[in-house]
Amino acid sequence: MTPIQMTFSTMFLLGLMGLTFHRTHLLSALLCLESMMLSLFLATSLWALQLSTINIATVPMLLLAFSACEASSGLALLVATARTHGSDHMQNLNLLQC
Amino acid sequence: MPSLHIILTTSFIITLVILISPVFTSILYKSLNPNWHTHHSKNAVKMAFFTSLLPLFLHLHTGTELTITNLHSMNIMTFDINTSFKLDHLSITFVPIALYVTWAILVFASWYMKSDPKFNQFFKFLLIFLIAMVTLVTANNMFQLFIGWEGVGIMSFLLIGWWWARADRNTAALQAVLYNRVGDVGLIFALGWMATNLNSWEMQLMFITAKSLDMNAPLIGLILAATGKSAQFGLHPWLPSAMEGPTPVSALLHSSTMVVAGIFLLVRLSPLMQDNPFALTTCLILGALTTLFTTICALTQNDIKKIIAFSTSSQLGLMMVTIGLNQPYLAFLHICTHAFFKAMLFLSSGVIIHALNNEQDIRKMGGLHYLIPTTTSWLTIGSLALMGTPFLAGFFSKDAIIVALNNSYLNAWALALTLLATSLTAAYSLRMIFFVNMNFPRFPALSPINENIKSITNPLKRLAWGTILAGLLMTCAVLPPKPPMLSMPPYIKLTALVITILGLTIALELALFTNKQRPYMPKQYFYFSTMLGYYPTIMHRFFPYTFLKLSQTIATMTIDQTWLEKTGPKTITSLNLSLATTTSNIQKGMIKTFLSLFFTTLMIIILLNYY
Repeated sequence: MTPIQMTFSTMFLLGLMGLTFHRTHLLSALLCLESMMLSLFLATSLWALQLSTINIATVPMLLLAFSACEASSGLALLVATARTHGSDHMQNLNLLQC
Repeated sequence: MPSLHIILTTSFIITLVILISPVFTSILYKSLNPNWHTHHSKNAVKMAFFTSLLPLFLHLHTGTELTITNLHSMNIMTFDINTSFKLDHLSITFVPIALYVTWAILVFASWYMKSDPKFNQFFKFLLIFLIAMVTLVTANNMFQLFIGWEGVGIMSFLLIGWWWARADRNTAALQAVLYNRVGDVGLIFALGWMATNLNSWEMQLMFITAKSLDMNAPLIGLILAATGKSAQFGLHPWLPSAMEGPTPVSALLHSSTMVVAGIFLLVRLSPLMQDNPFALTTCLILGALTTLFTTICALTQNDIKKIIAFSTSSQLGLMMVTIGLNQPYLAFLHICTHAFFKAMLFLSSGVIIHALNNEQDIRKMGGLHYLIPTTTSWLTIGSLALMGTPFLAGFFSKDAIIVALNNSYLNAWALALTLLATSLTAAYSLRMIFFVNMNFPRFPALSPINENIKSITNPLKRLAWGTILAGLLMTCAVLPPKPPMLSMPPYIKLTALVITILGLTIALELALFTNKQRPYMPKQYFYFSTMLGYYPTIMHRFFPYTFLKLSQTIATMTIDQTWLEKTGPKTITSLNLSLATTTSNIQKGMIKTFLSLFFTTLMIIILLNYY
């Protein structure tokens, strides 16, 4: 595959690994989520330019808008966790476990 | 004679007002004299009787009949309900007789109930009952008749349960109300049928519009109503149980006036029935069965009031037979004459009971003819009239009925039963007289035997005059609407007399055996009669228990517990609870492991796709 494609895929995969294998902080998971979004944004906008297909030219903007909502809700969850648990350490969230 | 209708109307309205006034004045003010209500009621009924004689004499002289229609009660589209009074031969004749008997009973009750703390209320109840009865008898439309019907039913309940501290009394009163209610269902059904099919509740309109219709359904309803109110077989146990009430109540309600309300309804509506052979046959068979059954039950009773109650029931059966023969006028005649001698029988038995210190068992009475001769004479006269002794009151009606029965081409089985019942009537009457009047005394020596009291002798004397003369007067004064049976062989004409004498002699023979020692006979033959045919034993437990259990199952278990609880809220609760418990038991909350698994699975799938 082309170098650009490999860059995007690697960036996405790295962000996903970061999301699943985080250790302590919820904030790092949210940051990795943001990087995944970023890679997707770049990928879709370059795709529209490279292949000259006008139909998908709006997709990056939509992706950006929805990602903003998602980031804000993630941050609200972070703030709520900090309010109730005192910090955003992941090990405090296992309340269902006895 | 000018303006006859005004005289009739005015007299009748005055009679009603005289009867109603003590009830209203008792609400409005209280007098200082504790006995005021007694005097007030007695005098009111006496004056009302004399006032009601005026329409009677006018009617006998000129044949005037009258219908008064006034207040327009309600109006539902084309259906009018008025208050209208019909003063035809039936009601003009019956009202003075009822008032005469009530007058005698009220005078008697002022002595009998003297020691009762609430006897003002007792008189008020009797008066309200009388008003309801007069409403029933003079009603020209079915609505007013229904008002009177329900009124007498309720007053009967209140008066039977007068001494309400005894459980037996309450049971008897409840029995009366329940059995009457079953009959009322028939009446309400007939009312509804007439409202929808004949579009009127006025009697004249009903008689005209019913000519061409099939009247089976409402007539069965009316016969059911008569069965309930007049204690025909099937709905009869309340009448002997009603003897738990005071003797004046038994004399007024359950001998002369209330129990004839059912028969009176059928007599009043006889133009509807005369063309319907199904209804007539039903009446005939029901009446014959009733009269024989209750006569058999009366043979082995030991309570004097129960014997008289059963004899009332059998005379009512005889009246029903007469209606079944399509002779309503003879039934009405028997109603009127029966009122006299039955009330006299009850009042005499009341005197005897009071004289022997509340002893009601005839096995503990005896030889009273030497001690209270006038009372036992009245008992004897009443029993002779009941048996149909020639030229007393009962003869004119009862003999005419038996003669009509013998000459008809109807059911021979009903005829046989009625004749048998007539002879057994003589038998139990003789048994009662033998045990009460004759032989030696069987009661304790210190009994308050006293009959020198004016309150007893005067009313009973009046009733005795009525018993002797009423039949003759009524037969001579009025031409019957249907031609009477006059031509028949002599053995048919003498049938009633012969079987009565036969029953009398056999009973006398048997009664004379009681003085001698006989070998012990098995008693099983008597069980049927003593237990009243096992009818109350079977019916009073089984059916109520079944119905109540069924209704409990339907109402509580099916509707409440099943549909409203289990299928609705409880199902949702239990389902959700089990699901949530299962789900939350699975969740262990290990987020890291979940996400790691997610990533690993994703990688495997991608790699598998590429290779």
